[in-house]
Amino acid sequence: MSDFLNYLILGITRGSMYALIALGYTLVYGVLQLINFAHSEVFMSGAFGSYLVVHAIVGNGQGVSGLGAVFVIIAGLLSGAITGAAVAFLLERVAYRPLRRRGAPKLAFLISAIGASFFLAQLFGKMFNRLGQNQFPTYFDANKVLFTIAGAPVRLLQVIIIVAALLLMFFLDRLVSGTKLGRSIRATAEDAPTAALMGVDIDRTISRTFIIGGALAGAAGFLFGTAFVFTNTMGFIPGIKAFAAAVLGGIGNIRGAMIGGLLLGIAENLIPTAPWVSTAWIGIQWTDVVAFVILILILVFRPTGILGERLGRAA
Amino acid sequence: MNRRVSLPPWVGRLLACLGGSVVLAMMVGKQQGSKDDYGLAFREAVLNPRIFYFLLVGVLVFLGITYQDVVRRYAGRPGVRPLLAGVLILLASYFLMKWYDPLGDGKLATFGAAVTSTPAVAPVARIFFGWLWWVGLLVTAAATAAAIVWRLRWLAWASAAVSVLVGAIAVAAHSLAVSFAGGIDHSFGAQTALIGNLVLAGAGVVAAMSRVETARTREFVERVMAFRPGLPLVAMGVVLGVLALVAATWFDPGGKNLTLVDTQHLFAGSALSGVASAYLAWLGYAVFAVVVVLAATAVWTAQKTLGYVAAGGAVVAILVTLATLHDISATATKAGYPGSAGEWQNLGTGGWVLCIALFSAGAGGLIAARRAPVIAPEPALARGSGALGRLHQVGTSTTLLSLTLFGVGLALFYPPTATAFWQQALVTDIGVYVLLAIGLNVVIGWAGLLDLGYIAFYALGSYTTAYFTGSLPVQPPIHLSPLWAIPVAIAVCLIAGVVLGGPTLRLRGDYLAIVTLGFGEIIRIIAVNNPGDFTNGPRGVARAVPHPVIDLGFIRFEWGGSQLQYWYLLLVLLALVFLLFWRLEGSRLGRAWAAVREDEVAAQATGVNTTRVKLLAFAIGASTSGLAGVFFASQVGYFNPQNFILNNSILVVAFVVFGGMGSLTGAIAGAAVLTWLPDFLRDQVPSEDRIMWIGAVLIVMMIFRPAGLIPARRRKAELTGLAGHDPSVDQDLRAVPAGEGV
Amino acid sequence: MRSTRAGKIILPLTLAGALMLTACSNSSGGTAAGGSSSSGLGGAGNATYKIAFQGPLSGDNQQLGINEVNGVQVAIEQANKSGNLGFKLALLKADDQGSPEQAPTAAASVLQDTAVLGVVGPSFSGATKAVGPKYGDAGLTMISPSATNPTLSEQGFKTFHRIVPSDNVEGSQAADLFAKKGYKKVVVIDDLSDYGKGVADTLQAGLEKHGVKVQRIGVDAKTTDYGATATTVAAAGAQAVFYGGYDAQAAIFAKALQTAGFKGDKYTGNGGKSSVFTDGAGAAGDGWYFTCGCSDATVAPSAKEFNAAYTTAFNTPPSTYSPEAYDAANALIEAIKTAAKAGTPTRQSVNDAVNALDYKGITTTVKFDKTGEVDQSAQTVNLYTQKAGKIVLMGNIKDQG
Repeated sequence: MSDFLNYLILGITRGSMYALIALGYTLVYGVLQLINFAHSEVFMSGAFGSYLVVHAIVGNGQGVSGLGAVFVIIAGLLSGAITGAAVAFLLERVAYRPLRRRGAPKLAFLISAIGASFFLAQLFGKMFNRLGQNQFPTYFDANKVLFTIAGAPVRLLQVIIIVAALLLMFFLDRLVSGTKLGRSIRATAEDAPTAALMGVDIDRTISRTFIIGGALAGAAGFLFGTAFVFTNTMGFIPGIKAFAAAVLGGIGNIRGAMIGGLLLGIAENLIPTAPWVSTAWIGIQWTDVVAFVILILILVFRPTGILGERLGRAA
Repeated sequence: MNRRVSLPPWVGRLLACLGGSVVLAMMVGKQQGSKDDYGLAFREAVLNPRIFYFLLVGVLVFLGITYQDVVRRYAGRPGVRPLLAGVLILLASYFLMKWYDPLGDGKLATFGAAVTSTPAVAPVARIFFGWLWWVGLLVTAAATAAAIVWRLRWLAWASAAVSVLVGAIAVAAHSLAVSFAGGIDHSFGAQTALIGNLVLAGAGVVAAMSRVETARTREFVERVMAFRPGLPLVAMGVVLGVLALVAATWFDPGGKNLTLVDTQHLFAGSALSGVASAYLAWLGYAVFAVVVVLAATAVWTAQKTLGYVAAGGAVVAILVTLATLHDISATATKAGYPGSAGEWQNLGTGGWVLCIALFSAGAGGLIAARRAPVIAPEPALARGSGALGRLHQVGTSTTLLSLTLFGVGLALFYPPTATAFWQQALVTDIGVYVLLAIGLNVVIGWAGLLDLGYIAFYALGSYTTAYFTGSLPVQPPIHLSPLWAIPVAIAVCLIAGVVLGGPTLRLRGDYLAIVTLGFGEIIRIIAVNNPGDFTNGPRGVARAVPHPVIDLGFIRFEWGGSQLQYWYLLLVLLALVFLLFWRLEGSRLGRAWAAVREDEVAAQATGVNTTRVKLLAFAIGASTSGLAGVFFASQVGYFNPQNFILNNSILVVAFVVFGGMGSLTGAIAGAAVLTWLPDFLRDQVPSEDRIMWIGAVLIVMMIFRPAGLIPARRRKAELTGLAGHDPSVDQDLRAVPAGEGV
Repeated sequence: MRSTRAGKIILPLTLAGALMLTACSNSSGGTAAGGSSSSGLGGAGNATYKIAFQGPLSGDNQQLGINEVNGVQVAIEQANKSGNLGFKLALLKADDQGSPEQAPTAAASVLQDTAVLGVVGPSFSGATKAVGPKYGDAGLTMISPSATNPTLSEQGFKTFHRIVPSDNVEGSQAADLFAKKGYKKVVVIDDLSDYGKGVADTLQAGLEKHGVKVQRIGVDAKTTDYGATATTVAAAGAQAVFYGGYDAQAAIFAKALQTAGFKGDKYTGNGGKSSVFTDGAGAAGDGWYFTCGCSDATVAPSAKEFNAAYTTAFNTPPSTYSPEAYDAANALIEAIKTAAKAGTPTRQSVNDAVNALDYKGITTTVKFDKTGEVDQSAQTVNLYTQKAGKIVLMGNIKDQG
């Protein structure tokens, strides 16, 4: 039982990060019907950006007290979000807007996105490094056991990740359903030409959608980097998974992305290791196969994902 | 939130340009970040005096955009385009190309420094490498530009003359310096500089001769092509052929570089067969002359029969040439001539270029036989009316046909003259991916299904081949030769395509994309995890996959001796697939695909069985991929799951879209360019940065040519139709791209 | 007017033709072996020979290749600076992305440069298998710093050498040690790479021979989240865990394992033993053991010099296989020197010299047997451990336990 809960907690942690990234895919898909393949690189840039800030504040991590650590974490989240938002904004300006102006076919956007993804990953590699083990300084005891549920320890870092993700998702949900910007995003997603006629500035809305999605991914980059390591190619796999999560929940659907992310994270951690006693079960090397088989099965039976599409109707 | 900060638009533009130049500065150069000092690469890139060059570029771009009205007025003048092209080519040659391989990075700066510091080198070389190269570029470019702007005819002529002179000096200086230094040199720098200078000279000539206000390049090309269809090809053939017969190397045992005449002297009195010795003495010149005269007459008089005769003659002439080439090398080897290395070895470029020339002339004849010329009324009026509309049509299609045919000629006869590296790259890097791109084009370009797991079928084909040739740990019931594995692999991939496609093809666009992506990853992970010890896991196949063999009893041929053999096998496969798909495109099925792609509901309503049609596209694409897999497996002999990563699937999609979705020639061109690029970049940028540059190329390409290199005709119509160029449609309405069915 | 415009189109075409004629005429027949690019310019300078490096410099595995090529570069720079060569050395980088598919092209770019007298690489076993015959036919010697697949030396490649022991050696000796230590159950993890799986497979086979229970786990090398893996290991009730893979991942895994509270002994192989591991894992790495077919790289003074030179040149400490690549390059340089003493060195004479080599490097004594493996006499597997963030030698693995 405690093993099961262990894996469940790990799954929720991983799933919240997937969900944060998946939201960016979903938002952009909602307004543009475009898979923003370079979103994974926005996520990566958040890790590097927040590292620069965190490192500047705490140095090697000595002499940071409890409250100081909270401050640093918030600074990290913010700087990650700002970096991610900036990169996403530039990405939209450079790689997508010119194509929209020219009425390019949809796959041209995809290729432009792939190009941007290659470009950003390697440019960050060239500028920072291409090593596989960059780490944030240790400025708090990330592994401190806060409490245990039925023998399964819940650690500080896991709580931080889950809480931060939930908060961000809550704010996003309010933003999209309750503000003027949110309304224009939904309107654009629903029917862009009509929204334009109603006085919604489409370009501006799209730009801001990218910024919001980028900020979430950048914050996720910070959390991911704090939990594990960060590299210039770290975006690829979580990016693919988050995309899968977004599709799983129903792409274009904000709550779907959250559910899809959590579901995928949990499934990835629980299924390959279950049943938790037997060693003859398929094993961790089949994690990705499990994830994709679930995805394919769900799509075969629910062709538009768990919650269905439509950002416009999400709220 | 609603308060807009309004800056004058030029501020943002300037900042964007300067920002762009900073990014460019970071991209260019060897600087590399480090773990302990994250700002290192940034400082090296940006806080150096060299940043000013990049900022200058940014400012120039900014000025260009800001004053684009003025710029456009001048940019339209005749001669501007060749001027820009010439300058770009020269810049590439001076800063990108190699000039001398054995020395350092081999680029002009390195080689030039060595030359100028060596007093014993010929003065011409020292002058050129010392200052003439950049002074020449500055002077001629500035002079031509001035001549264009102020219409100074004498200056245009003068700068054209200077350009030619500089180009000639570049080649002379390079060859003097190289022969002084010794060593084997594969560099293209000097030749590229010559081309650049000649293009510059061309700009000068155009500026001097032309009287019109604005250049009409496209119209001009169309008129040339429609004037006498096939004429450019024949002209090309004449030039190449004369060069080949007079100047090129035909035989070079031990680096002797013998021209055709020298070769004849060498083989005088040897055991060369009658045809070959006649060829060396006179037959070669004669057949070339006959073919060229026939083709030229056919083209000029638009004689159908004569055109076919010329094409046939060209085929015969090529066969005779090939026989002679074989005879030369074989006889020399048999006679033990020092330096000769066997059949088909030691041949220079001459014979092969003559083949290209003959092919080109023959192709010209063929075009003449099939297309009648259009005589255009002189003062060009509005397009689209009567003869001019036809001119446009014939001109465009003839251009494409001519280029394609010339490309075929190059594909047939150029590879033997390429370096070993490029022969290898042609087969392993370029050829296979061209095949894959053609296959994926069916799925993406025609049926409009986004498939991100295409490499999975390639993997299936490869592993099927490995299995049936007994290269996996598990032994097959029957051992097959790789060629016999082709139908099996195609069948396996067909089945796999149907199995995957059956349940998932009712998914719409992006859902299908992620499902196929997942499928691709599943296949790869299965290959890695090696259930039942079938694939041998990440270690790759257990024993090398054998090379293909044709064994008909009386004749036996085994591949593997050189990459060229694989190249020709690949050409045959490519040609078969191309023809098949070409027929398919216009067929009932091809039209059904287009219908499904454009509007699935409407297609269904008109009686198209959409599921069946989509499944067919999927299965046909899959089996092409499987075919490529068979070729790949037997060609490399050894492979592991690393070859089938997701990135490769994504790349093939990029090839198809880059080339022009739905266009067969586009898919080929896209794959060829994008697979050639990394190998080309090997010498230009640090290896680690190649992917970054490819990414940048993809973005720039999609911004400026979203429909791809060679857009499909049907797609082009879509793009330029309705919302594409109609100014009355509001900008905002086009903010969201019209769904394309994918 | 028409004629000038015609000139505009015909001219470039003609030029393209001219280019082909002139540029390609020196290309055929370039297979002649033996590379003496004579003088640089002026004849006064020394001859320049090239050492090629073939390995992944881009793509997923680029870090490993970069580690190695940097090591090679340090060796070459030091040799050039030493001033006792009598010739100049240059480095030719051939990027194969670590995949067998790209390897032949990379090899072709090496082979066509006749100044190349030897190759450090290929880094990966798959790539080696794809190009072994090519290098063999050309007589061009290759010394791999990291291709450890046991079957490589059985393929009959004529010029293949490697300065790391094959997976068999490391894996089987580790199995002996584990049995001696009396483990009842061991979790063996591999990173699904050619190397990781190779070591893990031989270890598993050895352990099962000794009657030790083995639980195998495979984790893709690109994974960053080792939470589930570590939890599984902790829950397995094993006395020891072995991670077959590379340093950066091993470090992340070490941290996850500490978090999960695994109490048994922790091992990794050659691929994990580097400062990247110690830096990355920090305190979590203390107590880890490393089996490595290499001698202690902190003892030899040349090793310290290498560390310093590498760090100055690349702003980062040497990582996995950097010292091995450095050794391979130095061995090659040594062989070229030997060959140069007997006259103009050729590819063949350099290969002969490599076969006869007996050179003390910083990780091993470079002396090859007939199959290209490091000679049995020089082949010892040592056990190391991390103590207070530093890797220290414990001695020959056979004397442990």
